[in-house]
Amino acid sequence: MSHDYRVVQWTPFKKTFDLWLGSGIIVFLAAHVASAVFAFPPDQHASEVQLALRASGSCAFALLSLILAIGPAARLSPRFLPLLYNRRHMGVVCFLIALLHGGLVVFWYHGFSGMNPLVSVLVSNSEFHSARGFPFETLGVGALLILFVMAATSHDFWNANLGPGLWKAIHMSVYGAYVLIVGHVMLGAAQGDEGFAWALAVGISAALVMGLHLGAGVLEARRGALMRRIVAEGWLRVGAALDIPDTRARVVSPPKGERIAVFRDGDRIHAISNVCRHQGGPLGEGRIVDGSITCPWHGFQYRPEDGCSPPPYSERVATYRTRIQNGIVFVHPEALPLGTGPGPTLIGGASPAPSDCSGEVRDV
Amino acid sequence: MSDDPFFIGWSPDLHKIDRRFLLLATFGLMAGGGGVAAFLGRQGQPPGPGIWDQSAIAGHSGLLVQTPWPMLRMIGDDGAPQTAFLATTGKLAVRLAANARGWVKVRGSLISRGENRMIAVDDGHWLGASEGIEPPGLRDWPEEDLGAAHLVGEILDAKCWFGAMRPGYGKTHKACATLCAKGGLPLAFCQTGSCGSGVDAPLFLDADGRRHGRDILPFIADRVMAKGRMVRVGDVVQFRVARPDIHRV
Ligand code: FES
Repeated sequence: MSHDYRVVQWTPFKKTFDLWLGSGIIVFLAAHVASAVFAFPPDQHASEVQLALRASGSCAFALLSLILAIGPAARLSPRFLPLLYNRRHMGVVCFLIALLHGGLVVFWYHGFSGMNPLVSVLVSNSEFHSARGFPFETLGVGALLILFVMAATSHDFWNANLGPGLWKAIHMSVYGAYVLIVGHVMLGAAQGDEGFAWALAVGISAALVMGLHLGAGVLEARRGALMRRIVAEGWLRVGAALDIPDTRARVVSPPKGERIAVFRDGDRIHAISNVCRHQGGPLGEGRIVDGSITCPWHGFQYRPEDGCSPPPYSERVATYRTRIQNGIVFVHPEALPLGTGPGPTLIGGASPAPSDCSGEVRDV
Repeated sequence: MSDDPFFIGWSPDLHKIDRRFLLLATFGLMAGGGGVAAFLGRQGQPPGPGIWDQSAIAGHSGLLVQTPWPMLRMIGDDGAPQTAFLATTGKLAVRLAANARGWVKVRGSLISRGENRMIAVDDGHWLGASEGIEPPGLRDWPEEDLGAAHLVGEILDAKCWFGAMRPGYGKTHKACATLCAKGGLPLAFCQTGSCGSGVDAPLFLDADGRRHGRDILPFIADRVMAKGRMVRVGDVVQFRVARPDIHRV
């Protein structure tokens, strides 16, 4: 049901991210309001509440579009990953801006009458059968409720207690919120004499978001095909490189032969036999200490790059070729000659040349 | 640090964060977002030339009339009769005794757009006897048939459109306009294309020159086609349309 939950830590990167996020929102709102004020003669500007209402609505939609674009963008290029890992902050801020928009609408358009403003939102218009007259506010209310649930459960506490599956399912409803908001604008502000620009803006945003998802989907499909080909060539899938704890290993069992321990040493991936030459201890349960894979049983050590014990010792274990494709580590089950190594595979970069027990770099 | 599940994706000991790229992306997003915001801010409905200074409360002397909506017939600066409708400061009609009529003084703030006027009455005792003498000619309401009219436009709540809201028309304003209509405030009609910056909006009444019933509510603020007659009553132009002759377009 639950796994370890740790309080979210504020890192400098997160703080910087939030600073930029806040600045971006201020720029957006200020540009929206300023251009609306200067678009018309000074004695004809919109009321302050309506200026704020429009700007916050536009901002919430733009932010939600951006949030939805980050996911596929990060799949297309890992350079967007830092945005992905901070996306939740954007989601919470998006909800707060949408709440401001909704609050102003309720106050301004539904207030000052004999009816409860919240009741008025739901009953003032029942033309559900008409596209022209459709009560678009109800779609906005639906989207706001979804954003609220997401914001309220965005904390890691909920991820830990609801379980990743349920948590993810709840947060996938963001797509429902997006569809509702597209409908909210298209059946609301986009209607009427001056609504074309809104329809255009929403249409372009929605097309961008869908295009990115489609592009990422195609890429995923291609990657899937590539993965299947790699496996067909005899490589064994180990798992995501980043899922292997630093200085630790993940052990895989080839169809025949000794089990293989795949270690991560910072950004390097190495594979050696899982069997210690001393008493057969499980090297994959050991860790890298002072640059050497250290057996958990009696502390025998092996260099990750060539499987040789550091001088003056002479034990050797087999090494294996590794490769990383789209962040997934593969190992080839064919052991290399004892005392030689294929060279590590780097996470996110070119791999150094192979070496052997003498420490010399070999030509490939 | 590196085994922190939240930060592992960009932990500096794994991937060097591409700061240059992120900075460029951030500035790009801010510039793009600012541009989109500036574009969107200029779009949408013009607020129109309506004015309502709520702090400018004054006494207005005139002839109080209750139909089709409560209004005050006054003498304008040019000596000609001039009509100002009456409303509360909210979305409700003023409450008048059935026999309230005659030469009175009303305290309130003026809402105006072009020649259109409405007085948002002050709280408390806003209606009293006028100390002046009723000028002649205010009780003459010559009615002139201006001919048939077949218009596409929007049924408005007059108070918001006159200047209580800026802008006070269109789909986004539908709920507000409906509340105003339910509250008994006057309805008007603007033609498509002139709702934003125009100043002409005839009163919207039924074929007999009376208020429409609640069956008009679903059409408020939607684009409709209406077929009826234009009639001038005093200084007020009325668009008289039978309910079956209103169609959503
Ligand atoms: S079995 Fe590995 S050190 Fe003894």
